[in-house]
Amino acid sequence: MKRILHLVLLAFLVVCFVPFAFSAPASEYFVYFGTYTGFTYMNEGLPAGGSHSKGIYVSRFKPATGEVSTPEVAAEIVNPAFLVVHPNQRFLYAATEDPLSLGPDFDHASYVSAFSIDSKTGKLTLLNTLPTGGTSTCYLSIDKTGKYVLMANFGSSTVTVLRIKDDGSLGEQTAFMKHLGRGRDPAFQSQAHPHSIDVSPDNRYAIVSDLGVDKVFIYRFDAATGALSPDEPPFVAAESGGGPRHFVFDAAGKFGYALKEMSGVVTVLAWDPSKGTLTSVQDANTLAADFIGSNDSAEIAIHPNGKFLYESNRRSRGGSLWGPDSIGVFSIDPVKGTLSEVEQVPPGGTMPRNFALDPTGSYLFSANELTGNVLLFRIDAKTGRLAPTTTNLKIDVPVSIVFVPSQR
Amino acid sequence: MRRILYTFCFAFTLGLVFLVGRTATAQNNDYFMYVGTYTGFKHVHHSKPYGRGESKSKGIYVSRFHAATGELGKPELAAEMINPSFLTISSDHRFLYAVSEDPLSVGPPLDHSSYVSAFAIDHATGKLRLLNTVPASGTSTCFISIDKTGKYVMVANFGSGSVSVIHIKEDGSLGDLTAFIQDVGHSVDPTIQNEPHTHSILVSPDNRYAIVSDLGLDKVLIFHFDAENGKLSPPDPPFATVYPGGGPRHFTFDPAGRFGYQLSEMSGIVDVYAWDPERGTLTGVQRVHTVPHDFVGSNHSAEIEIHPSGKFLYESNRRTKSETERAPDTIGVYAIDSSNGTLSLVEQSLTGGIMPRSFKIDPTGTYLLAANELSNNVVLFKIDNATGRLTKTGKEIGVDTPVCIQFVPVRD
Repeated sequence: MKRILHLVLLAFLVVCFVPFAFSAPASEYFVYFGTYTGFTYMNEGLPAGGSHSKGIYVSRFKPATGEVSTPEVAAEIVNPAFLVVHPNQRFLYAATEDPLSLGPDFDHASYVSAFSIDSKTGKLTLLNTLPTGGTSTCYLSIDKTGKYVLMANFGSSTVTVLRIKDDGSLGEQTAFMKHLGRGRDPAFQSQAHPHSIDVSPDNRYAIVSDLGVDKVFIYRFDAATGALSPDEPPFVAAESGGGPRHFVFDAAGKFGYALKEMSGVVTVLAWDPSKGTLTSVQDANTLAADFIGSNDSAEIAIHPNGKFLYESNRRSRGGSLWGPDSIGVFSIDPVKGTLSEVEQVPPGGTMPRNFALDPTGSYLFSANELTGNVLLFRIDAKTGRLAPTTTNLKIDVPVSIVFVPSQR
Repeated sequence: MRRILYTFCFAFTLGLVFLVGRTATAQNNDYFMYVGTYTGFKHVHHSKPYGRGESKSKGIYVSRFHAATGELGKPELAAEMINPSFLTISSDHRFLYAVSEDPLSVGPPLDHSSYVSAFAIDHATGKLRLLNTVPASGTSTCFISIDKTGKYVMVANFGSGSVSVIHIKEDGSLGDLTAFIQDVGHSVDPTIQNEPHTHSILVSPDNRYAIVSDLGLDKVLIFHFDAENGKLSPPDPPFATVYPGGGPRHFTFDPAGRFGYQLSEMSGIVDVYAWDPERGTLTGVQRVHTVPHDFVGSNHSAEIEIHPSGKFLYESNRRTKSETERAPDTIGVYAIDSSNGTLSLVEQSLTGGIMPRSFKIDPTGTYLLAANELSNNVVLFKIDNATGRLTKTGKEIGVDTPVCIQFVPVRD
């Protein structure tokens, strides 16, 4: 009898916890696309073209076959420029970047919205919306406990943290940090511009890339209160004019990779979790030595197998002579963390502001902002190389991609 | 019939006024007088702390004030707190809200964040019990007020040039950020007006608008305020202007809600506006110079308040002739024309100290208390209720770096 009880208990536990064991690959995912609905792209202070997007879109995706369904509106919302999924896979958070403005010159406020995810249909139900406490909010992440959402407010030079309540809705602000100073570039570095914020693997620190002041800030993060406090030393400096944009830790939590927007340099940093320090190991150049024009690198991600790093580059040779844009593929030395280039691949469109690897590591989705398309690449798990597929989704101004396992 | 209705309405209104009047004045005319201070630095001048050494204050102080005699008790520490530079009291007198201005920095160049704390007031002792603390969502937060429903605090973040609205929960503690507005732009003064600097925010008498004085933009911004959800949104036109370089700092409505008075810090000008509560517009009526025409030096006007009778306006001025010589500092007294809201000078009174960043008229309208930041004293003046003139009483108390005063009636 006792044994039967144990079996029943075991069966119950399996039923309860298997759906949350998302490290095991699902057979089908919802893939969500964040977009700009209010403006496409600012060129010399003016919006360059209009967007027809209505908000966040969702498709079904089968990693076994690479099949992707036609994107549908998952939620109507203004300028969902960045999305993040809660670790419990039940909630999605979206930044609404400056809904009252036409870009940074007219900033008033940005907002963050909490949605519950219908795990059968993929549709999103709004829980609540609060101000982010800043402007041009361009990045969101969630801490490892799932109790806080961390935001980078590019326009107003701040980072903020909001509490996530048990029901997934957003609560009070728990941290606010303002960055001061400027960098070398008079156009983009006349003030501080935090571009991303992510917690460390042990959840004790938060890393902030500041494009305006050429610094990667390290904050202590207190998951009991949601407070941030400056680490000692409070930052590691990047090359002058580099413009730190996005940062990623490797799977083992030994190395950090800082992508600089303007210089296109990826700096490899050794991460000491006991002291909260980043020490430079290598500067990997993503730009060819003979490149003439302007470069704006954007997204960086590491393959789930930990062997490859991907980063995207938006380039122009002046005016509207876009390109050649690329997605760079690098292999990672498992001991030293250093990078060596595998290849640079055209992203299948113009302005790859964002891309994402699916959770199984089989495909890369390249979001091309200006051409309004998302192209799928097949990833070679041995070499990391990208092979374009024929799957090319039409989505107006796609700028963020996240995955959630579907249940059906 | 209609006449009876009018009479009834009049009687009812009178009753309301009486009731409100009753709650506003204390039994025995006893009040707790709370004094906000700077604990971390005295005063920042050319980006450096300036004044007679560091502040020795530990937070918010409370002193018993007897309005019938003007007697001031010895100030005691009510709550330990870093840089409680501005305070406000809930209308039911149960809670006090204080900003904590840049606790991690020694002044604006090192800004990181400011905070807001909610306190419960102990009605026996006047001591404050901390309920909670949340970020102000800005830096150098220098002003806090409460909307008429008592459900929201509003703060002005001078350093980062924004305003925030934070929800007050049933228990008096602070909750969600319900509104955040970042000002953008600059004005003519290259040192202080190269970016927005919101200096105050307060709701209109009908609670439908919020007025924001932006020192950096030379604008008095008018926002729609929705008390249902605590949101701010810009109306059209969204602002009134002051004389370029003026630096709008504090704003006040007259008790009847017909006129608005904007004090500009650098110019020392008080702009009188007619307030249209229907459309939410401020229309210029008069521009009053509080700085004498023959004055040579620098002026920093600070606080503005209207007497409860609605007949007089007071405003404080911090002045220097040079880096080392004071100008001297004054509190200006103005009579208000009851029909058109205009001001005429009664006198400029000495403040009995140095740097009157703030002052407050007691709730009975009998006394004015000047908070002199640099000379570490709060000086008591008697108000002549016929002329508005200030007379020194000889009474004062010592408080280190006093910068804000609020009253709470004692209910024994």
